[in-house]
Amino acid sequence: MGDLKMKKYALYPGCIMPTEQYAYEMSIREIMPLLDIELIELKGFSCCGEPIKSVNQMLTLSLSARNIAIAEKEGQDIFAPCPMCHLALSECKKVLDTDTEMNKRVNNYIAEEGLKYTGTAEIVSILDLLHDKIGIDKIKSKIKNPVKNLKVATHYGCHLIRPSEIGRPDDAENPQKMENILKIIGAKPEYYPEKLDCCGALLNANLPESALTKTGQKLQRVQEQKFDVFIDTCPWCHRQYDSKQTKAGETVATKLEVPVLYLTQIIGISMGIENEKLGLNLNLSPVDKLNIWGK
Amino acid sequence: MLIGEFEFMSITDLTSMSKSQIEIRKEINQRLQKLQDEISDYCYQCAKCTSGCEAHKLLELEPHKIVALLKRGLIDEMINSDVIWTCMSCFKCRERCPQKVAPVEILFALKNMAVASGKQIPGNYTAMLQSVLSIGLLQDIKSVTTKNNKTVNRSDLKLPEISKPTDPNKFRMMLSKIAVEKI
Repeated sequence: MGDLKMKKYALYPGCIMPTEQYAYEMSIREIMPLLDIELIELKGFSCCGEPIKSVNQMLTLSLSARNIAIAEKEGQDIFAPCPMCHLALSECKKVLDTDTEMNKRVNNYIAEEGLKYTGTAEIVSILDLLHDKIGIDKIKSKIKNPVKNLKVATHYGCHLIRPSEIGRPDDAENPQKMENILKIIGAKPEYYPEKLDCCGALLNANLPESALTKTGQKLQRVQEQKFDVFIDTCPWCHRQYDSKQTKAGETVATKLEVPVLYLTQIIGISMGIENEKLGLNLNLSPVDKLNIWGK
Repeated sequence: MLIGEFEFMSITDLTSMSKSQIEIRKEINQRLQKLQDEISDYCYQCAKCTSGCEAHKLLELEPHKIVALLKRGLIDEMINSDVIWTCMSCFKCRERCPQKVAPVEILFALKNMAVASGKQIPGNYTAMLQSVLSIGLLQDIKSVTTKNNKTVNRSDLKLPEISKPTDPNKFRMMLSKIAVEKI
């Protein structure tokens, strides 16, 4: 009976989340069913192509198209938790829906695998899903342990909010949906001048030291402004800020001790889900110094 | 066709100056030509792109100069320069340009051109591409370490089996078509 009110989405995992950023996937899989979202598992997905766009853009477009086509074949809409994947799939949709020549070309490529892009699937990001599809009121109704006195810095990730021409889930210069969600779980998100700064992750391919420096510079400012926690939604950004935090600190000659959580983890905590199920023991930043969960 | 041979062929086609790359270069050249003819004329060098560029302070990328160089047709000079590989794709230049010029897109086209012209691809882009060709993903499943120094993977964490291309041969065939066919 409960199934009737469940909205279904094919979970498009991408590469980084399902191969190493397990805490994001675990926390998504924990909170979504409680918010009446059913995640459908589909076989056959590949990389979205965005990380190798510098090599060959046609490759990116075709990889994205084949992934959308896999979900369309099953009549499912797509939930892409990784902002980079979400941008690639959204851009592909925009190009193939408006450029008939390109649509023909790409469909010709993916026909090799028996796939066809039809443009029927909706592609939603983590913010669309939480803020607009599920909605603030529903999240609010599921909160059991609101967090208290927590000064929060949000990090949206570049690909989640730009370029707005492609259609992004929040404003490019003043995004507020994470703040809205965090407020209803009891946290106190505050503005900081570096809020829109990039984590540098894409430079890992060829300039890894510079990537870490970008990460370190932002976290250093967050620490100086005495934020209790740093919240992100992107597995690429999270790998920089959480998994590589110690190394990032070395680039700016600072001992960084900023707890970093995925948005879905802090929502899970406030919903009363056990830490272990949310993958909290996988966060390498000092999340244990946060005093927000039950004894 | 042997699978091993086929894998080798596709990576060669995608990243080096094989015959098929001539068509790809023609295509990218048209893209750059279009950007040069139409878009670079709108740029009046206000440098708003550079003032917000995430790679500017750290790596001296100056997107407004990229547009200026394109306007003068100095494409070879740019594809031979490391500076095009310092962009971190934050899209701020595209978002903020008052004239709707998108330096980030010019940079993608230049990097694609550098690759298609057989220039050395920096860093581990080749490894990433090879991984996508062989397993469909940027990297294979990794074991990670927990806070209490336990090594765990997907199955330890009770996560379902990972989604990957079901027929790797057909998948590679699709990718190699992109490089081999006229595009």
